[in-house]
This record gives sequence, structure tokens and C-alpha cells, in this order.
Amino acid sequence: MRLKFIYLLCSILITCSAVAQNETVYGTPLPDDALPYDEQVFRIGCDNTVTGTTFDFAVSVYQRYCVGSGDIITDQFQDALVDLDNNFNVIPASAESWSLSEDGRTWTFKLREGLMWSDGTPLTAYDYEATFQLEADPAHGWDLTWFYSFLGPGGIENWSEVVAGELPPSELGVKAVDDLTLEVTTVAPFAPLPKVMNFSFVMQKKALEEHGPYYNSDPATSVSSGPYMLKEFDPGNRIVLEANPMYKGYRPPKLKQIEAIFMSPSTFLAAFENGEIDAVPYQMLTPADFALIERDPVMSENYLRHYGDFRTDYLLFDTLNPPFDDLNVRKAFAYAVDREAIVKNVFGEIKAMPAHSMLMPGFPGADVDGELAELQHFDCERANTYLSDAGYPGGEGFPALEMWLRGEAPAMAAVYQAVAASIAQCLNVEISVSNKDSKVYMDALNARPSQLSIGAISYGMDFLDQSNLLGIWVSSGRHSWVNEEYDALVGEASSLIGDDERRDELFKQAERILVDDVGGVFIAHRWQGDLFKPNIQGAFREPDATGINGVHWGNSWVYSDLYKTQ
Amino acid sequence: MFRYVVGRLLSLVMVLLVVSVIVFSIMHAVPGGPFDESKGRLPEAAKENILRKYGLDKPVWQQYLNYMSHAVRFDFGIPYQQPNTTVTALIGKTWLVTVQVGIVTIIVAFSVGITAGIIAANYQNSWIDTLVTFTSTLGVTIPNFVIAMWLILFFAVMQRWLPMGGWGESSCVVGQFLCKDWILPVIAYSLAPMAIIARYTRASIVDVKRADFVRTARAKGVKPRDVMVKHVFRNAQIPMVTVLGAEIPNLITGSIFIESIFRINGLGKFFVTSTLNRDYPMIMATFLLIAALWGLMYMLTDIAYTLIDPRVRLGGRDSSG
Repeated sequence: MRLKFIYLLCSILITCSAVAQNETVYGTPLPDDALPYDEQVFRIGCDNTVTGTTFDFAVSVYQRYCVGSGDIITDQFQDALVDLDNNFNVIPASAESWSLSEDGRTWTFKLREGLMWSDGTPLTAYDYEATFQLEADPAHGWDLTWFYSFLGPGGIENWSEVVAGELPPSELGVKAVDDLTLEVTTVAPFAPLPKVMNFSFVMQKKALEEHGPYYNSDPATSVSSGPYMLKEFDPGNRIVLEANPMYKGYRPPKLKQIEAIFMSPSTFLAAFENGEIDAVPYQMLTPADFALIERDPVMSENYLRHYGDFRTDYLLFDTLNPPFDDLNVRKAFAYAVDREAIVKNVFGEIKAMPAHSMLMPGFPGADVDGELAELQHFDCERANTYLSDAGYPGGEGFPALEMWLRGEAPAMAAVYQAVAASIAQCLNVEISVSNKDSKVYMDALNARPSQLSIGAISYGMDFLDQSNLLGIWVSSGRHSWVNEEYDALVGEASSLIGDDERRDELFKQAERILVDDVGGVFIAHRWQGDLFKPNIQGAFREPDATGINGVHWGNSWVYSDLYKTQ
Repeated sequence: MFRYVVGRLLSLVMVLLVVSVIVFSIMHAVPGGPFDESKGRLPEAAKENILRKYGLDKPVWQQYLNYMSHAVRFDFGIPYQQPNTTVTALIGKTWLVTVQVGIVTIIVAFSVGITAGIIAANYQNSWIDTLVTFTSTLGVTIPNFVIAMWLILFFAVMQRWLPMGGWGESSCVVGQFLCKDWILPVIAYSLAPMAIIARYTRASIVDVKRADFVRTARAKGVKPRDVMVKHVFRNAQIPMVTVLGAEIPNLITGSIFIESIFRINGLGKFFVTSTLNRDYPMIMATFLLIAALWGLMYMLTDIAYTLIDPRVRLGGRDSSG
């Protein structure tokens, strides 16, 4: 009896101590089904054919380490002012609140109290101010310089002037009023500004002054105000991040470590099956990999398909020159693409849905009822009528075309080749496909007049508002398509604050014009996704309001909720 | 010999100058630049800032002179892909690994290839010869990245006998040398050169075996083994050296496929990524490196001829014999 009692007591004590031990570095307990804290190590792969230069968004957007390989490594050393929830609503991050001035131009963000860098320095609004100044500094030559001009009305005040070197960075419309108050002033009212602040990943002013913008590339000089800090870094081989014990922000992580191993994109799935990594983003999966996933019940259940960056594939034209200056020709092309067959047989339904307009269903203000499909869908007979009206009956006399692709991988090149084949077959015209080097393609597209008569391309959003995905189609954007009414609608809607219904309506009218005037031929919206090990759990598995689960775009908090079970 | 080597080295300098002019001109003539315009047009001011940052706002000839004035002091600039280091440091770090992979591959490819070639030539038209020829053809025709994936799937994923990748990280015999993770990359990388070496060795030996002096040696009663070693193999070395020497610069400058698939952080990928990213300093450095290696290799090959065949004289004088 006595022995039994001792045994029972010991068991209780061991269990209690195990429970007590199974808590994070912040003292918060892990879920009951979680592995011990020491085993909370999430491992991912990074594409070793891409060279990165920095961990920081403010230093380079396109050359961040592991960018495109799941994006979990990037932006872990800092918090932005705001974050997005599962339904793309803006939620507080390092800013606990924000307000707008009466003239609709100045946004005031109030930072949470007590935020801290890993070296013990308090995080202040002056750090945010210094980060914005770095991004606009002409000497820095930031690769996303266009971003805060928003390519239209409402850019950050003096942004373009500072970028051009006409004003010093201190004149930028981003000012720290005191340690906890940051003011952002725009040239004109710009409703989605809080959403845009989702990218305001901060750097430390002191470290920038002492070590320059690459201070985070060396564990000795790296300093973090985010959930993780740099523990080990061997460029091209391995990155190890560890939970930042000084973190006082809104997303304390459940994981102890994140490890990234640099590997070839062709070996991600093999490494996943070999147990070396816990997740694979869709960019690293080949068509053969998708076939394997679809056949395997466990993998298909753990491949979580989501909207990603709401990417749309489309054809673009030089509508300022023949033959695409004729709306009838553009309409003929729009009705000649058999989107359903291409998605089903070439793209794969796991990766795409047919598109009839620019905004993917799920994106704010998208045409969820399919009203725009009437203006762009497959109807070969109608396509031929339009071509005939343009003066090319049965394709007769239509010039041979070369459709350019932007350095596409074989799987995407096949999709666009199917698009060209669909048009050629339906309209009896000659279209060859040429897969160009990406920079050659972009030079031709950005040239004025455009050097690209017809090309295929995709675009994913930069911020979650119609003004972004529809804004790229205004006359000053990258496309050679001009429609004054469209420009006016997008401009008015972008600046409209306080009347969301009217704003949505204006954007809807604009998108209808884009589709009807065939600024582009919309082919497919891409489903993106991630393959996870079944023992990786967290809020990302919970569906959003539209029933979609997985890691949503802009959800910086979601990786902090991730943990490993048995 | 000394005068010959000095002369060849001077001519190599001239070759490098010509290569630098050609590469510099071509890379600047190709559209695009080291800035990213994948989302849309950069504002003119922003573009000018970036050009100024990289020193690309000056005329091309001035950029070239500026580059070369630094290059002669072994300062090859800052790689646009990794601006927190220098081209020299980056190449120094990554090439060291690539050279290691290359040397091990050369040892394996040459020893196995030459042995297989000799055996195939000795047993000409036998099943051994057919096997070597068939395997060699496969080795040349199947790309190394396909072989690499097969090896990974079988040995690492299915059998779990060997690691999927890395270099000098697992179960090493001495320090970071002779490791388990060397096996798969070396097999995948050496198959193609091994196949070429085996085929040329076989062809050279078969050719020399039919020569008059070999028949004479046999007629004089020289032992078959001595005929093979002293007459056949020695004379077969000249065509072999010509072909095999050319393989060495290729192998020690790496392969993007092998290094990428087997997670070897070497120089190989920079030959491709620097071009795609318009990383001008890195493009120049990698091209000059490979041109220098080719030049040196050809010089060493010419010197090797004199050692193998006393009739060959260096310096352009007629051979006597």
C-alpha cells in the first residue's frame, strides 16, 4: 500500500514536471499533443539555385534569403506595424492602434509599449522612421522603390522626390513624433494604407548606423525585435533561427527553432519523404510531384491549397499598334482560349482555376458571381466572327505572331503553349511561342513604345486591395493598354475613404472595362499551397470564411502558432 | 623549357585580355541589368540611382578600364548577388569546395575510365568490350542530373544507405575528407568523363595495337606484357592526353546540376546565376577564371607531350625522330 502510494506520488510528480517543462521560452505551455519543447524544430528547404543577399525586406525584396521557398525565414527578425488575419482583415501587430486625420492624408500609428530588440534596446518609432528612410534613400537603390508611390494617387508624401534625390530622406512623409508614435502622410487620401503597412518590417536604427544595412547577415551583429533571432548562418548551406527570448510582441512562437537547408528545387519532395524537411511550398513541386501527392491519401490530405498572392495568368498585347489596336482582334483572342480544357488537362485543377477577369475569387471585390465570364470565355464561333469583323475572315491575311514567355519553367511554358495552340486552332492564325530570358522579356515590355506585340505573363498582388491588381493596368503601368475612363475610375476609387460600397462599385466598373476592352486575355488564377507533414499543426489548418485553409498571404503570425506533434 | 613556359604565360595574358574585352562587350550588349523590373517599370530616378550604385552610369569603355585597373590588382569588385562580400572572397570560398569535388571526381573518373578502356581494348569484341562500350555510351548520353536523381531516390530515399547531399558533413574517415556524402555526387559527376575516358583509351589502344612497330615488336619475340606496357600504352597516351586534359578544367569549375542537387555550396552555380542576374563582376571573374584554366591546361598538355614522346619538342621547332 505504502509502495503504491509512493509510486503514485512519483508518477504525479514526473507528469507535473514534464508538463511544467513542456513550455516555451516565454513560459507559455505548449498544446497537450505537442512534442517536448526541445524537439520543436521546424525544418524547411531553401532553393540553392537562387542567391540571396539579405534577410531584410528593407534591404532587398527580391533577393532575400529563402524568398519563394515558403517565405518563413524572411521577416522573422522584426514585426510590421500591422498583420492580417485569416480573412485578410488588418489586425494590430507592433502598432496597437491607428487613426486617420480629418483631411484623410495622415495616419498615426501608436506602437505597443515595452517592445524590445534582442540586445535590450527598446524598439521605437524612430526605428520605423529610419527603415523608411533607408528604403527611399537614392544611395541605397532599393529594388521595390516604386512601391510606396503606389503607382498612382496617394503615394507617401515626398517619396518620389526623395527617391529622385531632390529632397533628403529626412523630408519623407514618415515621421516619428515620439518613441511610440509614427505618422505616415500620403500625397492624397489612400484608403488601403494600413494594409500596405503589412510590409513595414522594421530595422534597428542603431545597428544600421553602426554596421550598415547587412547587419542581420552575421549572427555577431544581427539584432532582432521579431519572434526569432539568427543563431547560425552558413550562406548556401544552412540557416538556424532560434526563438528570441527578449521578444515582447504579438506573436511569440511555439517553436524553439527553425532550420533551413539549402537544396535543389528538384529534391524538395525527396527530402520531404526522407524526413529531412517538414514542409514543401508549391513552387518547389514539379508536375510529377503533384501526381504523386494526388495519389497518396496522406500527402493529398496535408497539401493545403490556398490563394497565395492571388496570381493571375494572362495574355498582354501592344494595343497601341496593329494588329491588337483593333478591339475586334482582341475580342477574337479572348473568345479563342479554351480555359477550362487548358486548366483541366495542362495546368492541373490542383494548381489553377479558369480565369475570366483579373481579380481571383477570394480577393476583395472579385467577381464571385461570374458576371464577367460573359465577356471572356471560350466560344470559337464568336471568336471567328470578331476576327472576320476585323478584316481577317477565317484568319486570312492575319500576320504571323511570336508570343513571348518570361523565362518560364517547362510546366508553365506548356500551359502558355496550350493557350497559343488553342488560339491558332480556333482562329486559323499562326502563333509561335518563344520562351525568353526574364530580363530580356521585361526590357521589351517596359520599353516605350513596347517591343512586345503579344506575351504571356502572370501577376500576384503586392497588397490586398483592388488598387494594386487593377492599378497595374492604368496607363502609367507596365501594359500598353490605354483607357481614360478606366484610369479615372481606378484613381477615384483608390483615393476614396469612408464609403466602401461606392469604392467597390467603382472598382467593379473599372474591372468590367478592363475585361470588355480586352486589356488582357485572362487565362487562369493560380491555386497555391504547401505540403506539410501530418505532425505539423497550428492555426493554419483552420479554414477561413471561404473554407480555405493553409498559410494565407500576409499572415506573419501564423508561423508563430505552428508546432509539432508526435 | 623555361623560355617556352614564360612565352606561353605571356600569350595567356593576351588571351585573357581579349576574353575580357569580348565578355565585357557581350554582357553589356545583352538587354536587362542588375536591377529588378519584374513587377513593373522602375521610376527613372530609381533606375538612375541603381545604375549609379553599380557604376553603370558611365560609358562602357570607361567601365571596362575601371574594371581592368582593379582586376590587375586581383580586385574583381563586389558581386551584385552578394554585396556583403567580394568576388575574390566568394570565389575563394566556393571554388575551394568545387576543386575538392573536381579532384576526387578526376581521380575516380580517370582511374576507372582508363582501366575499363584498357580492359576493353585487350578483350576487343568480347562481352567485356561490349559491356564497357554500352556503359560508356549510357554515361555520355544520360545527363548527370538524371543519374543524380536516380542515385538519390535509390540510395538515399529508398534504401537510406547514404545521405541525400552535403560535402564533408557525414561519417568522414579523416576530418572532413573521405566522407559518406562524397559517394553519390562523385559517382554522378564522374560517370560522363569516365565514359569519355574509357572510350578514348580503348580507341587509342586499339589503334596503336594495329601499328607496324607493335607487329614488329611481337615478331621480335617481345613478351606480350612488355609490348603492351612499353609500346602500346606509351604510344596511346598522346591522343588520350589531348582529350583527357580538356576534361580537367570542366571538372574543377563545377556543375550547377551536381552542386545544386547534392547541396554542395560550390562555384558551379555562379556560372549560370551570374549571367541570369546580370551580375557583371561575377560574370567577368568566372569567365576569366575558366579562360585562365583552359590556357594553363593546354600549356601543361603540351609539356606532357614532351614527357610522353621524346620526338616532340617545345617552342615550335620540327620534331625529329
